[in-house]
Amino acid sequence: MGVMKLHDTSGIAYVLGDDINTDLHCSSKYLPGKSVEYVAGVAFNELSPNLSKRLLESRGGILIAGENFGINSSREQAVHILLIMQVKGIIAKSFGRQFFRNAINNGLPILECDTSLIKEGDTVTVNFESGVVQTSSSVHLQAQALPAEILSLIQAGGLIPFLKNNPDWSFAK
Amino acid sequence: MGYTISEKILAKHANMSAVNAGEVVVCSVDFAMVTDTRASNTIKMINKIGVKDLAFVKNTALVMDHYSPPPNLEAAEIHTQMREFSKIAGTKLYDIGDGICHQVLPEGGHLTAGDLVVGTDTHSVSYGAFNAFGTGIEGTDVSAVMATGKLWFRVPETVKVELNGTLQPGVWAKDLTLHMLGRFGAEGLNYKAIEYVGDAVSQMNIDDRMTLCNHAAELGAKAAILESDEKTLNWLSAHGAKAPKPVFADSDATYSQQLEINVQNLAPQVARKHRVDDIVAAHEVSNQRIQFALIGTCTNGRLDDIRQAAAILRGKKLASGVRMIVTPASRKIYIDALREGLIEILTMAGASFEAAGCGTCVGITNHLVPGNGDTVISTANRNFKGRLSNPDSEIWLGSAATVAASALTGFITDPRTVIGGDWRASSWE
Repeated sequence: MGVMKLHDTSGIAYVLGDDINTDLHCSSKYLPGKSVEYVAGVAFNELSPNLSKRLLESRGGILIAGENFGINSSREQAVHILLIMQVKGIIAKSFGRQFFRNAINNGLPILECDTSLIKEGDTVTVNFESGVVQTSSSVHLQAQALPAEILSLIQAGGLIPFLKNNPDWSFAK
Repeated sequence: MGYTISEKILAKHANMSAVNAGEVVVCSVDFAMVTDTRASNTIKMINKIGVKDLAFVKNTALVMDHYSPPPNLEAAEIHTQMREFSKIAGTKLYDIGDGICHQVLPEGGHLTAGDLVVGTDTHSVSYGAFNAFGTGIEGTDVSAVMATGKLWFRVPETVKVELNGTLQPGVWAKDLTLHMLGRFGAEGLNYKAIEYVGDAVSQMNIDDRMTLCNHAAELGAKAAILESDEKTLNWLSAHGAKAPKPVFADSDATYSQQLEINVQNLAPQVARKHRVDDIVAAHEVSNQRIQFALIGTCTNGRLDDIRQAAAILRGKKLASGVRMIVTPASRKIYIDALREGLIEILTMAGASFEAAGCGTCVGITNHLVPGNGDTVISTANRNFKGRLSNPDSEIWLGSAATVAASALTGFITDPRTVIGGDWRASSWE
């Protein structure tokens, strides 16, 4: 994984609701033995039919969610699956805390803000560094910017690539 | 300016004089735990880091608890991988039937007051019962800890909850945590650290204190932490823990929220089907039939829970059409229950015991699937649809006393209405 471009990411918005449990909808926890590729093909189907196919057709996209995206145990596998599905980032009102860590640790950009005005199919342009979100239907949002250390982890492509370059945990100031 | 327990523990482990909520810090960790659900991912991540010298492994335990015993070949192979990794790397290892991670860590003397402990399970908040900052992480996190002994943390805001009054006989920490869930909603304290203080906490035995902290995971909490007192220190010392380093909040600490709850009149609570925060008093749903009763899990599989059930079911039989499974939280608890005669009492009543572990909690164990249309009453911490593999069944949650009383009558039952339902741990005065 190379260094990520965080200041100008754009993609089609795919809108999911509140309290999305990624263990149920985006992991093999309840599908024992199924590969991540298999789960990537069916993930979130009950909530957003053919999401995987639609993401592939639009060459990726940005997931928009309400409160507590990735609640409960939140297997890290969900983030690996989301990356396979070409999810470029997630904007939600809030994340389950384990999902929040998993996204950062695996280089998936995330932001928290009030997402209720973002509509399915909008083109969303996000600056994950400053927290500015702009949609094709003229919605302008300012999310709380992520701390610099978290941006460094995401930018490195996640915690493991970060530690390869910074085995002493030094964050560039 | 003063600081909360969580801020003080994180500051000390970050080697800083103080840390503030919202700040990201890198902390030295005291102990790490990996369960079998995340072991495969963890080992994969460690190989990715490619560090040969895993300095921290002697302070890491691998625990086979979720698949105890393994329900399929895939799980069995994960266990084989864990045994092999543990042997080569030199971690501690808890095998099938030894117990649930959150029970074997404190029982094994692996943590003490003032520690920072991480584990690959959301209910790692349980360690707060011992005045440790315990929190759940994933495979990448724990592989970083094993490689470097450190991990990044965003310092949480702290919510202080003062529990005043005395819980009535038959009312337990589980009823309080369900009440908290009804009040704040699931994930209602997402990212926060909770400090529980007050008379009701002081009066609780360690078993109940562990329930209090454990169930904070459903509130979304990053940590739930208690002050240490004589009971804590005695318990830690009896289990061979290192010298405690008790941490207290400063009197002028900053809390994002403070509230007082008077527990004096709290009635036994249950979570209705599918939602952990749909809470009612047990007596309000006494016409709800149940077919399956479960006692166990990291929330309520401890000795005092099994004692509550035995006090109610001694010399009795489960109601017709009701079945019951008990999984003690650890082998030690299993043996203690055996020696106290509790296993005989419950088995005679019609219950079955299974290997210590997470079996009663989640369907991935795949050996206690409810039938279509069955209603389960469980001491577990989660009840979402399909949690026990069958979305056409429903799971309700309550204390061990409520589960046992319900198994006795066949309906959801306030334990205070049955003989033995007012049992309380003898050390309570």
